[in-house]
Amino acid sequence: MFKYILSRIGAMLLTLFLIMSLSFMVVRLMPMSLFENPETDPEIQRKLEDKYHLNDTIPVQYFYFMKDIITDLNFGISVKIRPGLDVFGILVSRLPPTILINFISLFISIPLGLIFGTIAALNRNTWIDHVISVLVIIFISVPSFIFGSVLQYTLTFALPIFPTLYDSQAVTFAQKMHSLCLPIVALSLNPTATITRYLRGELIENISSEYLLLARTKGLTKAQAIVRHAFRNSLIPISNTLIGMITGIMGGSLVIEKMFAIPGEGGLLVKSIFAGDHFLTVAVLIFYSAVSLVTILIVDLSYGIIDPRVRVGGGKA
Amino acid sequence: MAETMKKDVILSVRDLRVSFRAYGGLVQAVRGVSFDLYRGETLAIVGESGSGKSVSIKAVMGILANNAIIESGEILYDGKDLTKVKEEDFHEIRGHRIGLIFQDPLSALNPIMKIGKQITEVLRLKKGVSKAEAKEKALELMRVVGIPDVEQRFEQYPFQFSGGMRQRIVIAIALAGDPEILICDEPTTALDVTVQAKILEQINQIKKDRNLSVIFITHDLGVVANMADRVNVMYAGKIVETGTSEEIFFEPAHPYTWALLSSMPDLQTKDRLNAIPGTPPNMIFPPKGDAFAPRNACALKIDHEKEPPMFKITETHAAATWLLHPMAADSHVEMPASLKARIERMKRSGGLNG
Repeated sequence: MFKYILSRIGAMLLTLFLIMSLSFMVVRLMPMSLFENPETDPEIQRKLEDKYHLNDTIPVQYFYFMKDIITDLNFGISVKIRPGLDVFGILVSRLPPTILINFISLFISIPLGLIFGTIAALNRNTWIDHVISVLVIIFISVPSFIFGSVLQYTLTFALPIFPTLYDSQAVTFAQKMHSLCLPIVALSLNPTATITRYLRGELIENISSEYLLLARTKGLTKAQAIVRHAFRNSLIPISNTLIGMITGIMGGSLVIEKMFAIPGEGGLLVKSIFAGDHFLTVAVLIFYSAVSLVTILIVDLSYGIIDPRVRVGGGKA
Repeated sequence: MAETMKKDVILSVRDLRVSFRAYGGLVQAVRGVSFDLYRGETLAIVGESGSGKSVSIKAVMGILANNAIIESGEILYDGKDLTKVKEEDFHEIRGHRIGLIFQDPLSALNPIMKIGKQITEVLRLKKGVSKAEAKEKALELMRVVGIPDVEQRFEQYPFQFSGGMRQRIVIAIALAGDPEILICDEPTTALDVTVQAKILEQINQIKKDRNLSVIFITHDLGVVANMADRVNVMYAGKIVETGTSEEIFFEPAHPYTWALLSSMPDLQTKDRLNAIPGTPPNMIFPPKGDAFAPRNACALKIDHEKEPPMFKITETHAAATWLLHPMAADSHVEMPASLKARIERMKRSGGLNG
């Protein structure tokens, strides 16, 4: 098991390294110079260029880029959006709202998905199941920003219950949450539908399995058999879909944050790309990649803990 | 044995008819099956795939698929008609009164639950036994079914068990509820032959020790000879012949039973094995007359037209074939010579269980 964890972490670091290299290259290929303001003092510009080795060849720049990140987590400074500030500091300061909406969406959608999936599976091929299945298809296929706009129109304009944009003046947690409701709902629809769909399929398969029949013939009630055997066994494959869900929510929050003017990482990425604030873009890209990789790692490892077939057999791995 | 079991009928199936809704129409899987199970006996139900044997016992256990309809008939057990017991109440009977051993032990166990828990689960949930007591009982059951190193095995998962070991666990689970009737649905079909013999021996031993009444479903006549006191032969949803093991093996009366016995390999027979030609009939449109007639080389004209009733041969032996009708005496249809010779050989070599 220990070896397995190490190999997973090794693979993760390798992937992260590749992503860092790629984002370094891609950003270098983008148009726009870091210094477009004609009023910038040429002297200052030269000094900055020297400091960040921008006049060196690309391989040398790459070397310094990697060295700075690895030795002291230095991603450079922002030149356009928050001129002069440390990029890593900006990243950290933008973290709370992003974490808030992403995690709340995740924690809402998991139980909801489990509930709806169970209802659909238990009422298989009845109208309840059909209604849920149709909604699932809609919520999976329509991207979250469409729901964002729909919610914004209906619940802030036509029926003003929620504020249109994030209230950055909010002081109490309740006030903050009030203005975060819509983005969270918009983000939760897709993952809820995903879980519903998976759980429905898994449950139906497990309910018609031989071991469920055995559970019933040994004298458990139908409810006991389903909860103790079918439901539990259905959760294992579901845990694997969490990876896709978390990255999906984060991808959705890129746009949603911008739509609702939430001061989070997503808005920052979009803004920095348009402004040509390259150091910042690279840092946010790496942040997103790192979060995805850590999620994959956690799910991979937890898979081994939940499923005895992986865990017990793991001695050989 | 025949005298003692006469008296006490523990389970009685009366004219049971089960159909399945399918796309083509109603599949009449079981068409009027009646039999009695006596206390302490082993009753075998023999037949090809699709003859309705599994469906009959699924009706007894109340685990028919959702598209099944019990059209008529009753299953009398302990003064109750099991066909009328509601699903919510049936769990009182399953496992505690009637236990079931499955055909395929490889898929019958929950792959991610510890073996021990799968055995103790029902004790803990239904009998309110304490954890330690349940474990003690489970360990004992595991020893009874012949599992070594029970303490260690208790904590393991199904994938760490071989097929034969898993079937033993399934048997232990079936015994955990202390049933008085044990139904074995082809319990050794999925196992290899050496393991098969051991499992059968184990079931026989357990049956004796716990005074169980056993219904044994199989298509393997070799297994029947070793296990059963009485045999029902099923074809196309009906019982076509019923009798004691001796009667079925030594004096078979129905052409289908002849065909089954002839298609059973044994060591002495040197000539070609007689496979039964054709396939069982489509049960959406069951054939008129004797359902076996189309596959029966020596079928009479009336076999294609009118369904034969059960003709009584002895107190315990009966068969549904027109050959037994007094008027068929001059048709001169007899069992195949090769089968006759084989039965003679079996009798000489000292009976069924020799």
